Amino acid sequence: MSKTPLINLVGPPNSGKTTLFNIFSGKHFKTVNYPGSTVEYSSSDFLDKFNINAKILDSPGLISLNANSPDEEVAIESLFNQPNNGIPDLILVTADASQITRHLLLTKQLIEAGFKVILVLTMIDILNRKNLKVNTSLLSEILGIDVVAVNGRTEEGIDELTVKIKENLSKGKNIPDHNILSTFKDKDYLINTFEKIESISSKVIESVTPDIENANKQLNIQNPILRESTQKPDALTLKIDKYLLHKYFGFIFFLLMMGAIFTSIFWLAAPLMDLVDTLFSSLANYAAESLGNNWFSHLISDGIISGTGAVLIFLPQILILFLILGLLEDTGYLARGATLIDKPLSMIGLNGKSFVPMLSGFACAIPAILSTRTIPNRRERFLTIFIIPLMSCSARLPVYVLIIAYLTPPDKPWLAGFFLSFVYLISIILSVVVAFVINKFNKSLIKTQDDSSFILELPTYKLPKLKVVLRNSYENSKEYILRAGPIILVLSLLIWFLTYMPNHSPEFDKTGMTEEEIILLEKSERISNSYAAKIGIFIEPIMNPLGMDWRVGVSLIAAFAAREVFVSSMALIFKVTDDENIQNSLLTAMRDAKIESNGEPLFTTATSIGLIFFFIFALQCISTIAVSRKETGSWRIPILQLTIFTSTAYLFTFLIVNVLRMIGIN
Amino acid sequence: MKKASELNFGEKGTIKDIITLNPSYKRIIEIGFTPGQEIELVNTSIFNDPLTFSLRGTLIAIRKNQADCIIIN
Ligand SMILES: Nc1nc2c(ncn2[C@@H]2O[C@H](COP(=O)(O)OP(=O)(O)OP(=O)(O)O)[C@@H](O)[C@H]2O)c(=O)[nH]1
Ligand SMILES: [Mg+2]
Repeated sequence: MSKTPLINLVGPPNSGKTTLFNIFSGKHFKTVNYPGSTVEYSSSDFLDKFNINAKILDSPGLISLNANSPDEEVAIESLFNQPNNGIPDLILVTADASQITRHLLLTKQLIEAGFKVILVLTMIDILNRKNLKVNTSLLSEILGIDVVAVNGRTEEGIDELTVKIKENLSKGKNIPDHNILSTFKDKDYLINTFEKIESISSKVIESVTPDIENANKQLNIQNPILRESTQKPDALTLKIDKYLLHKYFGFIFFLLMMGAIFTSIFWLAAPLMDLVDTLFSSLANYAAESLGNNWFSHLISDGIISGTGAVLIFLPQILILFLILGLLEDTGYLARGATLIDKPLSMIGLNGKSFVPMLSGFACAIPAILSTRTIPNRRERFLTIFIIPLMSCSARLPVYVLIIAYLTPPDKPWLAGFFLSFVYLISIILSVVVAFVINKFNKSLIKTQDDSSFILELPTYKLPKLKVVLRNSYENSKEYILRAGPIILVLSLLIWFLTYMPNHSPEFDKTGMTEEEIILLEKSERISNSYAAKIGIFIEPIMNPLGMDWRVGVSLIAAFAAREVFVSSMALIFKVTDDENIQNSLLTAMRDAKIESNGEPLFTTATSIGLIFFFIFALQCISTIAVSRKETGSWRIPILQLTIFTSTAYLFTFLIVNVLRMIGIN
Repeated sequence: MKKASELNFGEKGTIKDIITLNPSYKRIIEIGFTPGQEIELVNTSIFNDPLTFSLRGTLIAIRKNQADCIIIN
């Protein structure tokens, strides 16, 4: 019995591989207009409607078969020997038709190495905009392989490609020659190959309006317009770049854009957040009413519904952040952003290519750390990974928003938005400082050194494909819920247990008390004799210098599993069930909270700001630690991150709280 | 002998050779900077580095010290 054939998608960065992969597999992997959006291999079966019995494998972009970094080495080697799969049965090599003279290099090398190849010309619509097209049958004849032109956005040409795939698969397997790789390293070989490609492309690129061309041929004009226009970048892109890459305005625009993104998260999300809040609080109330005043009712309404609700309120903000970043990525602007700040970043040991990973770190550190694979230089990559946990990821939003809402008057939402932008700004400045310091100690901390470089293709501007971007944001948010959800649920239950037991039905003299007073007293009796309070005694000495008590301490410890848990844990420990909405009742409870030992208010301006700083620094995310370990190949960096960031968090909070108190802000 | 890094904003030049001044010179050839190609400097950022060239119908940004490898007529 033969194995399922393997079809490998290979091609230069941003040439439309993942778009094809998604069409064939029905999956929704990220396709954006930035070279390097795919960093991991993923494989899938074909959708049934294509009737192709094979696996299709998407891969990161590859410029040539001549490795330029250890990662490229691995990528190229795997073409000759896929782990678990051996040599791919067929390679679909993509080439951007509008950049055919640059993108055919890889195709030629794959053919010369003896792979079985189909060339897929993508982005023919962009070439058409220049009034040009590719004569695919002529190209196929010259190269000796099948060539299909495809428009990844309209799926035009997919049927033809399907037929060709089936034909090629039925023809058996080729055995490529690994030894030929060494010849690809030669400078003269490269220059020669480019000359060949140029002569090929001048033959196969034709005008869409053949009449004019024929007339030219008759007049023996060597088609100067044709040559000119293939050599000219997209006219619209050049026009836009006149402004967006303007020497001075370009940078100002860049800064404004970044500012606008982060302030808008707050504005756009507010109405949606109210909606989620109302939903969960009425759910909690309904549960409490229908289940009565007993432990099971408390578990459901306080433990589960309010706990998860307190976190899910922030889902709209997270969704909007993903949406805005996705839209921006798909226009092609982010590559410009990376270029604009390559110089300043290189001065602190980073790279312009650190920009996109850092930016996506504001959504979530995990995909951000994975996307650092596009940074070819190891030192710069490790340093980028090092500081990504300092970017204010969306898991911190719930915490910041809660504390900011506590500190700012509710009738001034602009103040809250301003405050949040300020928190983001601080986190950016701090990460720059940290990168600078770590870079200074680079030899002893990161322990790797090699040549820095920056080569980035600035893609043609495209109108973002809204459907794709919405889909991406939806998938990201879903992933967020699936990852954070179970952790929040389990910890909510755990914290509920710790704060509810063992004194679950406190006995005291209830004479002359209203029902409400009884519930309140029950609650406080229960919690002050709980397991959590007992554990709390050990944390008190650590929390006291910060002006906080064990209740905040327990929430902070719980937040090491995932930062959002802080909010659900606070909601559990402090919340008094009543008919207000979740956030408001939590805020009221925070206002009333007193430190038990001395009766002073727990959440003062000083301690609240202190808490914000704790969250800016502390590395409280198990998944981040795991990904950092995986991507750096050892425990060194994650352990350094954990210890440095968390101890700095404590130290900073201590300093901020006490300095603020000294200058009279309490 | 003039280097691509010495072009003025908006100035064009034809590549004569790629020299091995920078370890990434091979990658520079592979992305299409080959002898005979016409390039134009279309952007110098506020920091004068990286430089964006128009080449073979695309825009490519490279650092100044990498553009030093590109000799133009
Ligand atoms: N106009 C047009 N755009 C396309 C076409 N195919 C893909 N795109 C767009 O080109 C961009 C890059 O596509 P991807 O599929 O992510 O390219 P990739 O080769 O996987 O890129 P990397 O993973 O970064 O190497 C996306 O914005 C796509 O929407 C096409 O045929 N025409
Ligand atoms: Mg991709």
